[in-house]
Amino acid sequence: MTVERQADFEEDISRVKRVKVEQNGYSKTDPANNPYLAHWADDPHTPESQAHRLYSFQRHATTAKAARAAEDGPINPFTGRTLTGKYMSILHKRRDLPVHAQRDEFLKLYQESQILVFVGETGSGKTTQIPQFVLYDDLPHLNKKLVACTQPRRVAAMSVAQRVAEEMDVQLGEEVGYSIRFEDKTGPKTMLKYMTDGMLLREAMHDNNLTRYSTIILDEAHERTLATDILMGLLKEVVLRRKDLKLIIMSATLDATKFQKYFHDAPLLAVPGRTHPVEIFYTPEPERDYLEAAIRTVLQIHTSEPEGDILLFLTGEEEIEDACRKIRMETEEAISDGIAGPIMVYPLYGTLPPQQQQRIFQPAPPAAKPGGRPGRKCIVSTNIAETSLTIDGIVYVVDPGFSKQKVYNPRIRVESLLVSPISKASAQQRAGRAGRTRPGKCFRLYTEETFKTQLIAQTYPEVLRSNLANTVLELKKLGIDDLVHFDLMDPPAPETLMRALEELNYLACLDDEGELTQLGQLASEFPLDPALAVMLISSPEFYCSNEILSLTALLSVPQIFVSPTNKRKQANEMKDLFAHPDGDHLTMLNVYHAFKNQPAGDQKQWCHDHFLSYRALTHADDVRLQLRRIMEAREIEFVSTKHGDKNYYENIQRALVAGFFMQVAKKDGSGKNYVTVKDDQTVILHPSTVLAVDAEWVVYNEFVLTSKNFIRTVTVVKPEWLLDIAPMYYDLDTFKKGEVKAALQRCQNKINRNMAGKKAATRY
Amino acid sequence: MSQSEEEDDYMSMVFDDAPKAGKETSLQRRARMQKEGEAKARAKTRAEKEAETEAAREAGLATALDSSSKGFKMMAKFGFRQGDTLGKAEDARKEPIHLSMKDDRSGLGLESERKRKLRELVEEAEKEVKRSKIEQVDYRERVRQENEEKRLGVELYNAQKTAERLVEEDDQSAREGQEWTPTSEYKSRQTISGKRSLQSINILWRRLVRNRLEKERDRKRRQHFNDSLSSTLPTYISADEDEDADDKLALGHDVTAIEDDLEDLSDEDLELEEFEAQPLAERLQKVVVYLREAHHYCFWCKYRYSSATLDGCPGITEKDHD
Repeated sequence: MTVERQADFEEDISRVKRVKVEQNGYSKTDPANNPYLAHWADDPHTPESQAHRLYSFQRHATTAKAARAAEDGPINPFTGRTLTGKYMSILHKRRDLPVHAQRDEFLKLYQESQILVFVGETGSGKTTQIPQFVLYDDLPHLNKKLVACTQPRRVAAMSVAQRVAEEMDVQLGEEVGYSIRFEDKTGPKTMLKYMTDGMLLREAMHDNNLTRYSTIILDEAHERTLATDILMGLLKEVVLRRKDLKLIIMSATLDATKFQKYFHDAPLLAVPGRTHPVEIFYTPEPERDYLEAAIRTVLQIHTSEPEGDILLFLTGEEEIEDACRKIRMETEEAISDGIAGPIMVYPLYGTLPPQQQQRIFQPAPPAAKPGGRPGRKCIVSTNIAETSLTIDGIVYVVDPGFSKQKVYNPRIRVESLLVSPISKASAQQRAGRAGRTRPGKCFRLYTEETFKTQLIAQTYPEVLRSNLANTVLELKKLGIDDLVHFDLMDPPAPETLMRALEELNYLACLDDEGELTQLGQLASEFPLDPALAVMLISSPEFYCSNEILSLTALLSVPQIFVSPTNKRKQANEMKDLFAHPDGDHLTMLNVYHAFKNQPAGDQKQWCHDHFLSYRALTHADDVRLQLRRIMEAREIEFVSTKHGDKNYYENIQRALVAGFFMQVAKKDGSGKNYVTVKDDQTVILHPSTVLAVDAEWVVYNEFVLTSKNFIRTVTVVKPEWLLDIAPMYYDLDTFKKGEVKAALQRCQNKINRNMAGKKAATRY
Repeated sequence: MSQSEEEDDYMSMVFDDAPKAGKETSLQRRARMQKEGEAKARAKTRAEKEAETEAAREAGLATALDSSSKGFKMMAKFGFRQGDTLGKAEDARKEPIHLSMKDDRSGLGLESERKRKLRELVEEAEKEVKRSKIEQVDYRERVRQENEEKRLGVELYNAQKTAERLVEEDDQSAREGQEWTPTSEYKSRQTISGKRSLQSINILWRRLVRNRLEKERDRKRRQHFNDSLSSTLPTYISADEDEDADDKLALGHDVTAIEDDLEDLSDEDLELEEFEAQPLAERLQKVVVYLREAHHYCFWCKYRYSSATLDGCPGITEKDHD
């Protein structure tokens, strides 16, 4: 297990350990170590402590030698406390990391240039060490500034911060902290802040020049997340305005010239990782069935290759579980025949509970008998194992060449996960996983010709595969007016921006001139998609802001319903307990209310019994709290309709329409399928729906593309609500002739007649 | 409905047409309604539905958002025009990334391999269609030409036969003075159609002779095959040393015996190919001229004149004889 990831997955354990150290290591009577008496020792500006606290260092003139001396202690230069033995042993290991060999080079370039591109392959130690190198030279605490290091993933931000806090012998949340959506673990002393790229972007919305920071490190830039790309575009402008701000772009891939070119030919420093050669094998012919081929390959490796663990890349949960089962089954025979050693097969995917994810770090099983065939472990993973986590001991990689990738198409407005061929860069990254411990082998289940001619060079950055409505709102808030010429590294198709602007206009977040409206200003305060934000903001008008707040939180977390393959029937029965005939949104709300009615101690068991995800529900609870705070700050009222009121659910449904009127489908002539409004796409209800009424019109949360077009999480609505709540979007002149328009026209006529009738009635 | 004669003509025209459309009888109408209803009510098969869904999706994906979009107008404010790209990068995208659905487990590259094969087939078919389309345009012309070719072919054959016949007749009359023996007759036949090299035959009717010889050879081969004792399957046992020539012939090991006197046939005849590359009409013309000059024979009059000037023949071409 690598140092980096150990922290990630043993976070809880290490936390426990650290508490123990504190309890044993310090005298409890010493007030300096009593956290409640911290203020006693709060004024360290005596000359002695200044010497220890790097006051003798000159900013941007630190040498590696001087920094190393300061690191050696015995006093922690940042806290003034004596360094522990644990610190020393970690320091010893840190000095072995490849980046330490080039510390002088790094410091020289960092000092000379405002922008630096740093390339460090996985295992070079860049994520944990470079920010510390920067601390010793940038000395942010002396200027009341911070160093920020962004990460694409929440888990990485948390675990790396934890690790670095240990390396620096400080308490997490003090000198070193992290900030992720819905969680901020930083304090007034914080000088190094790990954060998700999305969080830095949100901070920039309120502080366009990011004045709090003296150095910003964009880590894992090669992953090209939406937020990183936007940040790069933004920072490219900020560095011109703020000459004192330093910027480091860190990438794990060698093709960093693109970053260099984008940042006006910034200097580049590359540190090699610790990798061994990997032999690559291709199949002579394309495979008929990649899953079957993958399993066959795993079996072949297991029975004929020397010791070493196997990593197989597949696309999704179901496929991975299926493959694990088959591999276990198929190897059983070989094992009992004695032609193969024992094998442990572990699945790995994002939605797997953390304790199960941790199992992949268990060592391979030993040989059945001494001197017998070696045992090994086989990990079947999504592309999480491609970059974001490192499993030592992997010698064989099996790569069918596919992964699930998010795609967005502005023409039919579908944002979905689709199984797609990987890129060349991705294939290389996968192969590299086999050479972490010793020379390895990578089995590609496609031909060399296919690799050369059909795979794209780099995976498309997220900005090309996303709905940009949220981004546009953020950019507007960042003070960028001219979105057309905003200098993105890879600008998306113009239609993507067109659609985003149009959607925001219908949501009344942008006016016809493209200027942020008051509603838009407010919506941008929420870390939510604009449709959700607008729904939440307008919910008091429908007397149900408490309920919509819960619903918004529920829609912002992963699936709350658990449906294990082998217990699907029971799971469905349990789900039916909460089912509201009008649809899934209302059902989710019922679940949440029932969950909140359980005594806190029983919630976990209750969730387990009812096939609900305790993690997702508690997370939703957190999110709800965070959103509630924002609402309070913006003085949005909290109101509810009385539960017994006949309009209780209808009000919620109407509030749903206020946000999701662009995600509506109408039943088509056949009476089975639905057609999406305006885009005319034939869709069917996702089989997971509980909708029990004959719904002519539904609002949906997601348009999912698989082999079929599905709409997921649906609730019935009435056409008169559409016409009433979103008259701009439901302007009948903008509709193509067809069933949808005709139905809306009938509804409009009915309303007009009623109105006329009422008028007539009042006249007499 | 009562339109007076004085009113606009076009109005009355419109009304004239209307009743025609409504001439459907009530029975017909009911039948039509029922048919339409049935078509509507018939549950579409799954495949049909899926195809429709996909068609709608493809249609949606193929339809670009245009300047009617509200978003476009906001972008236009910053100088965006149709066809522009965003940002400052030179190689910015113009089109959204293509969506490709994958719903099976075919390996990477298999689909494109299939597609490539399919594409080749489609291209072939398209070419075929294109060709036939071009041809369709002048279908009549083509038919006319084909008939003409056929006719010319027949005429050429006749002319060639005539030429061969005349040469033979002339040869015979030249030998008339000599002693006539069946052998010599046989021999002379041989010289023309057999042993004598094909190359020595006049190019104008060499094809005729060649075809005849080929036919003969095929016939012989067939006969030989039927007569032969052995099976035609190849054997890996080397031929028996003791076989004499007859055995060989009988066993079919001595095919050279037949091929021998026809060796010319297997050779390529460049001269003949060159001659046949000329259009039929031209070839016919050449034979006709030859007949006139060498034999004073007009192919069109079907008459052998006595004088070299062919007195009485209306002319050299077929047209002259109309």
